[in-house]
Amino acid sequence: MSTREIFDSRIESGLLLLPTLLVTVVFLYYPTALAFRTSFFDSSFGRAEVFVGLENYVELLTSSGYHQSIIISVVFAAVVVVGVVVVSLYLTFLIHEVDTGQGLYLISVIWPYALPPAVGALVFLFITHPTLGVLTGPIESLGVEVDWFNNGSQAFVVVALAAIWKQIGYNVIFMIAAMNNVPDTLTETAELDGVGGLRRLVSVYIPIMTPTIFFLVIINTIYAFFGTFAFVDLLTSGGPSNATNILIFNLYQEGFSFFNFGIASAKSVVLFVIVGVLMFVQFQITDKYSYYGG
Amino acid sequence: MTTVTLHNLRKEFDDVVAVNGIDLEIVDGEFLVIVGPSGCGKSTTLRLLAGLEDATDGEIVMDGRDVTAVEPKDRNVAMVFQNYALYPHMTGRRNITFGMKSSGDFTDEEIDRRVEEAAETLDIADLLDRKPQAMSGGERQRVALGRAIVRDPDAFLMDEPLSNLDAKLRIQMRAELAQLHTSLGTTTVYVTHDQTEAMTLGERVVVMNDGRIMQVDEPQTLYDFPANRFVAEFIGDPAMNMLPVDIENGTAVHDAFTIQLPNADGGVRNGAKESGDASIRDGQRAVLGVRPEDLYMATDRPNTGDETLNATVNVTEPLGDSLLLHCSIGETPCKIQAKARSEIRPDDTVSIAYDPARLHLFDPESGDALYHSESYASSESAAAAADHG
Repeated sequence: MSTREIFDSRIESGLLLLPTLLVTVVFLYYPTALAFRTSFFDSSFGRAEVFVGLENYVELLTSSGYHQSIIISVVFAAVVVVGVVVVSLYLTFLIHEVDTGQGLYLISVIWPYALPPAVGALVFLFITHPTLGVLTGPIESLGVEVDWFNNGSQAFVVVALAAIWKQIGYNVIFMIAAMNNVPDTLTETAELDGVGGLRRLVSVYIPIMTPTIFFLVIINTIYAFFGTFAFVDLLTSGGPSNATNILIFNLYQEGFSFFNFGIASAKSVVLFVIVGVLMFVQFQITDKYSYYGG
Repeated sequence: MTTVTLHNLRKEFDDVVAVNGIDLEIVDGEFLVIVGPSGCGKSTTLRLLAGLEDATDGEIVMDGRDVTAVEPKDRNVAMVFQNYALYPHMTGRRNITFGMKSSGDFTDEEIDRRVEEAAETLDIADLLDRKPQAMSGGERQRVALGRAIVRDPDAFLMDEPLSNLDAKLRIQMRAELAQLHTSLGTTTVYVTHDQTEAMTLGERVVVMNDGRIMQVDEPQTLYDFPANRFVAEFIGDPAMNMLPVDIENGTAVHDAFTIQLPNADGGVRNGAKESGDASIRDGQRAVLGVRPEDLYMATDRPNTGDETLNATVNVTEPLGDSLLLHCSIGETPCKIQAKARSEIRPDDTVSIAYDPARLHLFDPESGDALYHSESYASSESAAAAADHG
C-alpha cells in the first residue's frame, strides 16, 4: 500500500512504468539471460547451435591466454582506479585551494570527460604517438625511447594513462562537491593549528569524503573493466603481444572477430562474475572505513 | 600573556565595509567581549585577529610585534567556533592532539601531559575516546575548549561559542568559561550577539555597530553611562525607552510631561566627556532615555517625590518576576517594568514615577549622549554609601 495515491488506478501507473520496464527487459535482462544460455552452446554464424554443457568454461579455465587476460585486466583496473582517485583527489585539492580562476581550472579538468571515448582515444593517440605525438619529443629528451607500438609495458602504461585522463573529470565533479561540503571552520581550525596542506587533505578532507570516494571507487572499477574498451581498441587493439588485451576487449574479439559466440558469452559471464565479486569485496571493505557523519 | 592593539583596522569585502577603521587596545589577561547586532563586523574583527581574513588597512600588534600579515599558525592564538569545528571522524583525544602533532612543535610526552591537564581542567576525561557524534552539544564545546587550551596560546578567540547550546546549558557554560578564564588568565576575545552574555562575561565590553566601535567600557558603565543612543538601546533588556523632548530651563519638556533634570549642567562622562560642548542648552531638542526598570508605579514608591507622569497601558506581559507594560506616554510608546502580580489591565491609565538618577539625554541627530542625570563620581559615592548602609 502506498502512502500517497498519485495515480488513479494501477493500470495508469503500470502504463507509465511500461517504457522503462520494456527497455530494461529487452536490452538488459533478456540479453543477459540469452548470453548465459549461449555460454553453454557452441554457436557461430552459419551453423546450428550445439549444446556443449560446461565445455566453454572448461576451455577458459585451461587457457593460459585467458588467464593472462584476467591478470592484465585486474592489474589494469587496479592501476586505473588508484590512479584516477589519487590524481583526482590531488587536482580537486589544488582547485579547492586556489583563490582565483577556480571555474577555469575546473572546466579544463572536466573537459576530457566531455569527449566521447573514441574521440578521447584519438586525441590521446596524437598526444603520445611514437613519431607524431606532441609529448613524444619531450619524453624522449628525458632519455626514454617512446615505442609503445612494440613495447608491451609501454603500451599498457599509455592505455592506463589515457583511461585515467579520461575519467578524472567525472571524479573531480563529485570530489569538489564533497570537499566544498567540509565545513570551513575545520579548514580554519587546521590553519590555526599549523596543519600543512597535504596533511589537511589526507587527515581531514579525505576521511570526511569517504562516502563519495567509495562511490567513485565502485564507478571507476566498472569503468576500468567495461568503459575503457575504446582506448584498447583504438590505441593498441589489445597488443602488442596481448599486453593490453583486457577482458572486455578479449571477449569482443572472440565474439565479433572470431565469431565464437559460445566462448564469448562464457567470457562475458566470467567478466560479470569477476566484477560482481570485486564489488562485493569493495562494499565489505570500504563500508567499514567510510565515515557517514552526523 | 599578551597585549593586542588594533590601529585603524579596516576590512572590506568587495563594496561592503565590514570593519571600518577601529582602534582598540586589549590588555594582557583581559576577558574582552565584542557585542553587536548581526553584520556589525564583530566576527570579522575576530577573524582579522586570528589571521583568517586579511586586513584591507590598518595594523594588528601583538606584544609589540606587528602581526597584520602573519600567517594564522604563527600568531599562536586558538579559536573556538560556534559550531565547535571538531573533526567528525576523530575521537575527542585525537581532536585535541591533531593540531599539536601536525605542527611538530611538541613531544609525545608533552602532548600526553597537556591532554591530561586539559581533561582534568574541563572534566572531559571520559569524552576523550568518543567521537563528536556521540557527544552532546555541551560536551563538544568542552572538547573544543580543550583543543584550544592544550596549546597554551597567547590569546583565545571565541566566536559565539555558546550560541548552539540550549538556554540552560548556555548559562552553565557561561559560568564555566568565566571560571576557566580566572584560572588560566589568558587574554580572551569573545564575540557574541547576546548582550546578557557580554555583560556577564566581559571585564570590558566593546559594543560595535556598522563596522565601528560605539563604546568600550566595563559592563556596568555601559549600562549606566551609554555613550550614545545605540549603546543605550542595545544594552539592557527590555531596551531603554526613548522620548523626544525639548530642553527648557533645565527641564525636559514632552507633550505629556515635564521633568526636572538634576545636575543639568553636568554634561556627560563618556564620549566627549572632557569637552564642554556636549552639555545641554536651553531650547535644544533631545531624546530622553529612561530604562523600563527605572520607571515604576507611583503607588509602589510613595516616597520618590511628586513628579509623576501618566501613561496608558496598551499590552501587559507577565514575565514571572515582573510585569512588563507596553504603554503610551502621550503619543510615544514606552515600556515599564512593574511589580509582578500588579493589578493592571490594558487601557488603564497609570501614574508613573521615575528614578531621577537614571535619566539620559541623547542628541536626536547624532545619537551621542548629551547628559546623564547621575555623574560618574556621584554614582561611586552612592555605591559607597550603599555599601555602608
